[in-house]
Amino acid sequence: MAETGATSVTPDERCAIGITFGNSYSSIACTVDDNAVVIANEDGDRQIPTILSYVDGEEYTGNQAKAFLVRNANNTVTSFRDFLGQEFKSIDPTHCHAAAHPKDVDGGVSFTIQDNVEGEPSTVSVSEISTRYLRRLITSASDYLGKKVTSAVLTVPTNFSEKQREALIKATTAAGIEVLQLINEPTAAVLAYDARPEAVVEDKTIVVADLGGSRSDVAVVASRGGLYTILATAHDYEFGGASLDKVLMDHFAKEFMKKNKDVDPRENARSLAKLKAESEAAKKALSIGTNASFSVESLAEGIDFQSTINRLRYETIARKVFDGFNRLVEGVIKKAGLDVLDIDEVILSGGTAHTPRIASNFRSIFPATTAIQAPSTNPNAVNPSELLARGAALQASLIQEYETNDIEQSTHPAVTTVPHITNAIGVVSLGDDGEDIFTPVIAPETAVPVRRTVHVATPKEGGDVLVKIVEGNTHIKVTKPEAKPKENGTKDDDEDDSDDDDSEEEEEETREKVWKIGATLGEAAVRGVKKGSKVEVTINVAGDLGVTITSREVGGKGGIRGVVKAP
Amino acid sequence: PALAEGWSAEKDFKPLSSITSSSQRTIEPVGPHFLAHARRARHKRTFSEDDRI
Repeated sequence: MAETGATSVTPDERCAIGITFGNSYSSIACTVDDNAVVIANEDGDRQIPTILSYVDGEEYTGNQAKAFLVRNANNTVTSFRDFLGQEFKSIDPTHCHAAAHPKDVDGGVSFTIQDNVEGEPSTVSVSEISTRYLRRLITSASDYLGKKVTSAVLTVPTNFSEKQREALIKATTAAGIEVLQLINEPTAAVLAYDARPEAVVEDKTIVVADLGGSRSDVAVVASRGGLYTILATAHDYEFGGASLDKVLMDHFAKEFMKKNKDVDPRENARSLAKLKAESEAAKKALSIGTNASFSVESLAEGIDFQSTINRLRYETIARKVFDGFNRLVEGVIKKAGLDVLDIDEVILSGGTAHTPRIASNFRSIFPATTAIQAPSTNPNAVNPSELLARGAALQASLIQEYETNDIEQSTHPAVTTVPHITNAIGVVSLGDDGEDIFTPVIAPETAVPVRRTVHVATPKEGGDVLVKIVEGNTHIKVTKPEAKPKENGTKDDDEDDSDDDDSEEEEEETREKVWKIGATLGEAAVRGVKKGSKVEVTINVAGDLGVTITSREVGGKGGIRGVVKAP
Repeated sequence: PALAEGWSAEKDFKPLSSITSSSQRTIEPVGPHFLAHARRARHKRTFSEDDRI
């Protein structure tokens, strides 16, 4: 591993950045005064196409290489990230059709390209292709920073296998870069949001929808006190930016054929490449404006083509793809055993997440209380294209002063794999009508050890107070449109639907989340509480699931401390 | 709620049952709060010990 001498850099010599290496686009980011900044390459691009092309022995990457897809497709390699560490028979070469085709070499993936001025074409492994591309990214970052970048944190999809992770580390190391850590893409997105100065760390359940070019990945992440646990993931290779490009390509191709009979620009490779490039540009324009023009010189058989499309039309023809994203998100929430009402925030990530329609569709899936983090629904949302790189850069700056073996030990499964409580833990208080109300203190799916403190209101008259620590879980209560005879009061304590409101006149059935009180863990008495004062309750769950409860009057001395044994 | 008449327990605390269910899951080794968690785990420190440092 150490052949380049860059695998292990001492912390004080490190210059670390964050890299997002995607199939379609890659980004590089660094931190300036604890703020993450995405670095533009020498072409001025922050989203750098993951494309490597050779013309007359000269190496091109990014948008320059992308332009060669029209004239020099055979010596241009695209969409290769997912081939790293993969066997040839398990790859899907769909997105390489318009460029150099992957080849089976000893079971692995290679490309045959003319990367020299003269002589035979070379057969280059996907690992070497990645190394060359990453080297160029690093050079751009080093040029921007004015010093040599030595180390990086890279983002990977959650379903990247150990083999793929190793292959990525190997390819990056070969580019002369020490890999500090590989982090999961959804986590990087959440970190990028949580690291903003205005962000408040709180317990919430987040859906991260990473809508890319050739794939879409959705994850449900439990964020508890700044610790993140992925509860469920889903991956889709059918719906992504490329399928939206396809919709526009078909639309414009048909329009072209209306004017020029018997000329299908999709049947000629070069025309198809032009059609695709311009369709992608039109799609991006439709994310910003409500109209986009489409024009290609000599699209097919020397005929120029010009057209326009408005956003409404686009949304109509792309509806099937948009519906696919909805299903993907709904599916992963179900997989996590949750309901849309359990989701506090939806983070849209990836280039396709700029599409306003996708955000507004998500808006209608989720309740009004769920925050939808996308440019069109929240003006303060972080640019979805930059989230992953920012997250990686932040993580890089956090760990760059650590020794390599410190990082290894900290990320060891013994540290990361811990029990998570299944039910919420909270206190019971009295509602307005004298019924028991569950107030969650520690959310379900919180990793232990954990400590939380709340202030509980006491009975108005003060006096002696009972603090009851219980488990709780939620269920979804559906209220049908027709008002049924109420059966309140007949239920016993542990089925108390305390949030029973009388909104049954509504047209649609309403669904709401209600807490159900479970087992009582312990009871404590706080005596002689003053009128109108509050009781502070601290619940501490240890790594062995033993619970320590401390309660006292706010501002009071002493307090009651009790221990509930570990199960 | 108010304390019921005649409620009593040793040191005014009555443990009733342990946590009923939990599952082993993996925390993402990312972010400042994780690094704090890892530090506590590796030095076998508790929250209050950590606060004092």
